[in-house]
Amino acid sequence: MTSGEEQKKVAKGSIFRRFENSTVLSIFIAFIVIIVVVQIGKTGGSVFPTFISPVNLLNIIQQVAVPGMVAVGMTIVMISGGIDLSVGMLASLVAIVTALGLSKWNLGVVPSVLLGIVVAIVLDTILGFIISRTKVEPFIITLGGMITFQGIALLLCSSREVIMHGELDFFKVNLIAGAKDPVSGLNLIIPPYVIIFMMVVVLGWLLLTFTKYGRRIYAVGSNPNAAYLAGVNVRNMKLSAYAINGLLVGIASVMMLARINVGIITLGQGLEIDSIAMAVIGGTALSGGKGNIWGTFFGVLLLGSIGNAMNMLRLPPEVQFVAKGVIIILAVSLGSVYANISTSVARLGKHNLLERDSGRKI
Amino acid sequence: MSYEVLLSLENISKSFPGVKALQDISFDLRKGEVHCLCGENGAGKSTLIKILSGAHQPDEGGRIVFEGKTVRLNPGLAISMGIQTIYQEHTVFKHLNITENIFTGMEIGKNGFLNKKEMEKRTIEALKYLKNELDPDSLMGDLSSGQQRTVEIAKGLIFKRKVIILDEPTAAFSVSEIDNLLEIIKTVKESGIGIIYISHHLEEVFRIADRITVLRDGRKVSMYDRKDISGEKLIKDMVGRDPSTFYKREDVPSGEVIFEARNVTGNGIKNISLKLKRGEILGFAGMAGSGRSELMDVLFGAANIEFGEILINGRVVKQASPSSAIRNKMCYITEDRQDTGLFINQTIAQNTIIANLVNTREFFMSPASDYKIGDKFMKILNTKASDSHVRVINLSGGNQQKVVLAKWFNTDGEIFIFDEPTRGIDVGSKQEIYQVMVGLLKQGKAIIMVSSDMPEVIAMSDRVMVMKNGEITAELNKNEVSEENILTHSIGGSKI
Repeated sequence: MTSGEEQKKVAKGSIFRRFENSTVLSIFIAFIVIIVVVQIGKTGGSVFPTFISPVNLLNIIQQVAVPGMVAVGMTIVMISGGIDLSVGMLASLVAIVTALGLSKWNLGVVPSVLLGIVVAIVLDTILGFIISRTKVEPFIITLGGMITFQGIALLLCSSREVIMHGELDFFKVNLIAGAKDPVSGLNLIIPPYVIIFMMVVVLGWLLLTFTKYGRRIYAVGSNPNAAYLAGVNVRNMKLSAYAINGLLVGIASVMMLARINVGIITLGQGLEIDSIAMAVIGGTALSGGKGNIWGTFFGVLLLGSIGNAMNMLRLPPEVQFVAKGVIIILAVSLGSVYANISTSVARLGKHNLLERDSGRKI
Repeated sequence: MSYEVLLSLENISKSFPGVKALQDISFDLRKGEVHCLCGENGAGKSTLIKILSGAHQPDEGGRIVFEGKTVRLNPGLAISMGIQTIYQEHTVFKHLNITENIFTGMEIGKNGFLNKKEMEKRTIEALKYLKNELDPDSLMGDLSSGQQRTVEIAKGLIFKRKVIILDEPTAAFSVSEIDNLLEIIKTVKESGIGIIYISHHLEEVFRIADRITVLRDGRKVSMYDRKDISGEKLIKDMVGRDPSTFYKREDVPSGEVIFEARNVTGNGIKNISLKLKRGEILGFAGMAGSGRSELMDVLFGAANIEFGEILINGRVVKQASPSSAIRNKMCYITEDRQDTGLFINQTIAQNTIIANLVNTREFFMSPASDYKIGDKFMKILNTKASDSHVRVINLSGGNQQKVVLAKWFNTDGEIFIFDEPTRGIDVGSKQEIYQVMVGLLKQGKAIIMVSSDMPEVIAMSDRVMVMKNGEITAELNKNEVSEENILTHSIGGSKI
């Protein structure tokens, strides 16, 4: 009987469907394999490939922790059907405010850090308020926000850099001091901000997957009209996504300030592009309602390891841009191919149950 | 007296997969006449217009003759031959002015430069001919719908169109605007243009028609000269299905009043009062645009109520938003599944649990329990999919509708509003949904059902309220419910 075969095909289809992160994971793994193979090829296999040595892997995580945190916030905003272009300049502004608090206004460490984070939450919430109460595109509002924040930041620091004296160095201490890489013998480093990043990822995942809030945010991004009629307060859900994003940008920019140790406008430059790219590579849709934190996490690791790998292979930095761009395009188009496969497999399997009119399919 | 036939259809049929939309239609339009098309929702009027405007190709066998020549129409060709269709939905450029709207795509000019003076002159001439004083510089978006229609008709005059088709032109018009439009049509007809006019409003039809063609279920029933026909006869022609072929519903004894509306006004509806008992289906009939869905939005708290009260179990309730309606045990299965009912890219489980979140206090929830709930309602409703992990986009229309039902059943609601419960659903699923509705009644729940499907209204309703122009024109008891009665109250004015 054919029903057995159909059953099988359905099941096969559902693997594609259920494991949402297969695209980003397969690209990520493919990328690692390619780099490792190239490294082995170069050294003739005599040396352990440095790209996957523990010290380098930890290095990559340190590099991506800050943009990664912002990418988690961006994922939530994008699932709710929005986008936030202001995160880069907001991060610069927050870093400058915090640096000024520490070195000029002498507020002390905790108040300065809190001040920076509160500024981030308040400003992003204002953007969220405007977006959720009007019909203007979030793209436009946050673009305006980006330019405004840049202006405020430059005014505050009189277009100069704000020098610090290592007040935030405790974010950089090595939590596993003394541990050595068995391969290279170098020191292994895990600073607190890496732990904070991992906590943000886990909390973001819990929020989206195991709470009422998470279910509603997907509903709002997927179909705001239907969400409203199902009793969801669409406006406040959208607003909250920007507030959460503000909080994460605030934390991220304090971490960034701790790493760089100087408050300067260029700190957050390009952060919006990187975080959107990470979310998108991880399968988050610009149209809303689609995406998840682990997808974004792998997007973060993938985008973060490109630069690192290029350095290892001694390729010029210009190549990085090409590689990043190609990987973004590849990830998104492959994602759509996967989606097509999964739908058509499901269709084959349940052909008689399915809607024949596919005119509305996207 | 001889007539000059402009356009004629001979034995035209049109089938879509599974449906015969038109069967063997013959129809002709003379120079300088107004020919009205009448019929219920779904009688085939829109399909006929789409064939005339070239949007649909008829099946093999018939032919279309325009000015003595057999033609195969497509949208571009229809316009260049002089057939202009003015659709129900406005297709205007709101940010352009009147002149630009008329001449977009057909600009007058030389060497790439526009001759604005000439275009404006012609616009003013045409508007004057229609006895209209509109400023050709005013923005289309600032005009009322009546004025926008006038501009579209002026366009027909300027480009010397021979046939103008008007589909429900007076929807959302004020009384004076209707008078105005009918006057304009009379003027236009004098100039020799043939007009095909479609309207639900028999008063309008009788005021301007020269001839009337009646369609029913895709067939031409009759064709009359205006002077030979009365309103009663016309309605008799539009109805006429055999009631014994309708779905047979089980009767359920009704209980106490669970839901009541008193003088509800707002969102375009006026002074609606109704009582709904447990175990009862209250049907709402009326033509498209009569205000039924707007009323349902108000009852569910999705649109503002300006005046009046809503009572549930005898207590006045505030329906400030859909979430309070859900808390008050109301459920709303909307007309448009894709647009307002479903999260089409999400799983069955995600769709099923969403509305009941209003009633849950827990902040934390597990995906595993979502899938359990999803699977449970798939079993209850006999939804056909491998399990509740399946995304709704992969389901058929009937199964999608069951997912919508699951979403509301999960809230444990008692007052159900079904707006077009079986639109776009195959016959088998239709019956299943009817059974589900009767099942609800047996549990002591109550249903308000809006439907444009006449057999459905008659078969399923215990009582029927008929709406027209945002008001209730009749309340019919079970023994008064008939196609003729419903249609008389939904299209006929007080005059016929």
